[in-house]
Amino acid sequence: MKTLAWCGALLLLALSFAPAALTRADRTFPFDFKRMELSNGLRAYLIPTKASGQIAYITIVRTGAREEYEPGRSGFAHFFEHMMFRGTRKYPDYDAVTTRMGAARNASTSSDVTQYYLVASKDSLEQIIDLESDRFMNLEYSEAAFRTEAGAILGEFSQGRANPMLHLYEKLMDTAFDVHTYEHLTIGFEKDVRAMPEGYEYSIAFHKRYYRPENCVILLTGDFDPKHAEQLIRKYYSPWKRGYVPPEIKPEPPQQAPREAIVEFPGQTLPTVSVAYKGPAWSATDRLSVAAEVLGMVAFGPNSRIYRKLVIQDQKVQALTGDFALNRDPGLLLVLAMVNREEDVPAVLREIENTAEEFQEKPCDPKLLNDTRSAMKYGFLMSLETPQGINFALRDFAVFTGGIEAVDEYYKTLDSITPADVQAAAKKFLVDNGRTTVTLLSAREGK
Amino acid sequence: MRKPILAVLLITVFVALALPQTPKGTITLHEPDSPFVAFNIWVKAGSQNDPQGKEGLAALTANLLSDSSTRQDSYEQILARLYPMAAGYESSVDKEMTVFTGRTHKDNLAAYYELFRNAILSPAFKEEDFRRVKTQTMNYLKQSRRFSNDEELSKELLFREIYRGTPYEHPEEGYVTSVESITLDDVKNFYARYYTRENVVVGVGGGYDRGYPAKVRKDFDTLAAGKPESVPPPNPKPLTGIKVLIVEKNTQATPISFGYPISLLRSDADFFPMMLANSWLGEHRNSVSHLYQVIRERRGMNYGDYTYIEAYPRGYSTQVPPTNVSRRSQIFEVWIRPVAMTDPGTLHNRTLFAFRAALREIELLVKRGLTKEQFETQQTFLKNYIVNFGATLSRRLAYEIDDHFYGIPEPGFLALARKSIDAMDVGRVNDALRKHLQARNLQAVFITADAQGLKEKLVSGVETPITYAGKQSQSVLEEDKIIAAYPIPVKEEDITIIGINEVFER
Repeated sequence: MKTLAWCGALLLLALSFAPAALTRADRTFPFDFKRMELSNGLRAYLIPTKASGQIAYITIVRTGAREEYEPGRSGFAHFFEHMMFRGTRKYPDYDAVTTRMGAARNASTSSDVTQYYLVASKDSLEQIIDLESDRFMNLEYSEAAFRTEAGAILGEFSQGRANPMLHLYEKLMDTAFDVHTYEHLTIGFEKDVRAMPEGYEYSIAFHKRYYRPENCVILLTGDFDPKHAEQLIRKYYSPWKRGYVPPEIKPEPPQQAPREAIVEFPGQTLPTVSVAYKGPAWSATDRLSVAAEVLGMVAFGPNSRIYRKLVIQDQKVQALTGDFALNRDPGLLLVLAMVNREEDVPAVLREIENTAEEFQEKPCDPKLLNDTRSAMKYGFLMSLETPQGINFALRDFAVFTGGIEAVDEYYKTLDSITPADVQAAAKKFLVDNGRTTVTLLSAREGK
Repeated sequence: MRKPILAVLLITVFVALALPQTPKGTITLHEPDSPFVAFNIWVKAGSQNDPQGKEGLAALTANLLSDSSTRQDSYEQILARLYPMAAGYESSVDKEMTVFTGRTHKDNLAAYYELFRNAILSPAFKEEDFRRVKTQTMNYLKQSRRFSNDEELSKELLFREIYRGTPYEHPEEGYVTSVESITLDDVKNFYARYYTRENVVVGVGGGYDRGYPAKVRKDFDTLAAGKPESVPPPNPKPLTGIKVLIVEKNTQATPISFGYPISLLRSDADFFPMMLANSWLGEHRNSVSHLYQVIRERRGMNYGDYTYIEAYPRGYSTQVPPTNVSRRSQIFEVWIRPVAMTDPGTLHNRTLFAFRAALREIELLVKRGLTKEQFETQQTFLKNYIVNFGATLSRRLAYEIDDHFYGIPEPGFLALARKSIDAMDVGRVNDALRKHLQARNLQAVFITADAQGLKEKLVSGVETPITYAGKQSQSVLEEDKIIAAYPIPVKEEDITIIGINEVFER
């Protein structure tokens, strides 16, 4: 009995797995995969791993808050994500079916993507493919259900208002962008969220427009037979009709001068400064784009000169980050600093601007660049621990390119980045005319 | 067909014989194929060990260790060396335990381990590091805790109210005034007293080489000897009636937390039946949750509604249960996510409606029990869902540590839970839930604007009906009438109001 129990334990515990070799000469992503494309344009990637008994399934809709270009519709991609759990004729109760599977499932929306994911036993593979394909093709909900869900969204919106960072991001995006849809957060503007119950008809149009096979990518990772999975995907997804209508997103015109704003949080908060520069769109092969991502870590990461000075030596700043991860369209290269005392805000801002100038003026330290490349690669490899982890690590490649092949290209480009490339990125992007500075402060009494 | 089975058995026996003995005070989880190695160093001390007036000392000590210079390297050097590995380590302090956790790719094991070990074994205790970490903590106490997450704050206040007068009373991070008074010497003394070789358990997991855990243990055996005093388990006062704490704060939506102490630990016979009952009533951040169905799905009142039989700190940031928050006393807890307030005339109606709905559902569950069908669906769900709790190496290792805390035998909590749920029947679950669940004697916490208005509505017992933006089914509207008038037996003297700036001041 003891041995049997142990076997059970081992089965349960042996969910992690290891690829044969973690780095190959020309490849960073250590797993083999199969790509398939149906005649309707749907792409799926099958990534078998040794994960005993588990599969992770993600449907990536290449639509997010970015697609909300029509006035009054901000927050709609996220709202629609909620509606996807409201059932179909075949499966009126989505929750009941996934409950019986014991699946961990959820969804999320950001600027460029809406993703739907499940982790479940491999025995549920066919049921998952059936269920997911059905709701993407045949979603059906009443206007009453739609209005009820709008209430849940308002709850989500309201609970978010308690967080000062949300106020900061909201002001930052609105200040930095004039016409591009990145001007609003995924949750949407408050007035649009409050008007959501009236949007039933629009929601049907939204589904028809964007929830189409040529706008979606599926990743299936874990313990499954690829041949069988391919047959199932063909069987269930083939009836899905094309019909994607591209959004009419206006490109953001070049910024002409630095911008500044202050936002007051109705409560107490550490003064927080955000200095954002207009950046490029993501690319796996464009050296300047990849160098821009490297630049964020080199110039503002935990091993940067400014971090040592502001956080460790002078202790003016509690936390400093340089998040230069790129978007599908040109977005922001963002430096954030939480400042301990309000009187230090001007000095901190100056230090950030000086750092931007410093990286324009001279090439970065080659060792720091090497270490940064290593950090980016190991960061990626460390995230490939579970089937779900792998899907999440690959998601952005699928969002930006419609496939995951670019992953190795991206890391090849990263390998080739030189100090001169990083300098070129700084010269191009960390410029005064592309800068937006927003400072978050506690609201003043009586104001 | 027989041969492979035999071979497997033989290999199992061989491996069992060939494995070096796990040294005392060491927990191992060898997964030879894993490209990672994870560490979990468990110090048997937590916020319950904080001296009076120095609440927050255990947490500040751990934070200082995981975020500072060592005698070998300055903090700057440590960050520089960790950076190319994309690795780090962190500490976490709960009521009874402190853990230091970290994970690295095997490629970097030697360099990583050296930094990780030194952080715990040879802290430099530099004044400038102390100043930096203490400032961060004070910022958190004065600002972030009060003004960035009302939901988490309502939960922390719930625990405080329930555990008043016990070593669980104060939040792990301490109070504004108590942390303000902590000196570097306090930290050094706490370290000397609790970071001893008899009081530290070493956990190592993943793809390490044979014999490696013994080497790690040997390093940690260089800690000074000493067995600190034990703290008796907390004995929270039983609640009589409904006690209410209302925090007055400028907010758009009101989070609600309520609960009461339960005599139920992981190691108890009723635990797994209650795990299933709780999963049905309020599985964390899952639409399986019955309360979620009633309050959010059918009525769209908020973002989610969940229940707990074990402490679940920082639930907003995780889908799976937190690890290494093992305790000798637990509460039954309900988390109603913020309910958006309506216009002034009906302010608090939605809040109190949600509260009433939750009380009623708990009482209905006790009265009716789970049906066989509900039970079987939940049984299938939970058995499979639990697999997700141990998805990563670090989590599996952390569960092993918790198993040692609770004295749970092999094959460990996660495997036992599956086995036990599989063998359970509905009668067992209903017996357990009738023993442990109720909604008449409890503590509730609300964070809201116009606290006085909420108090008056509570005391008056006035009905709190709600309206909908769209059409609602007749059955829901009928049920709404019952919920809106559902009694909340609360006395005026059992309601306390405090301002947000008083919260956790001392």
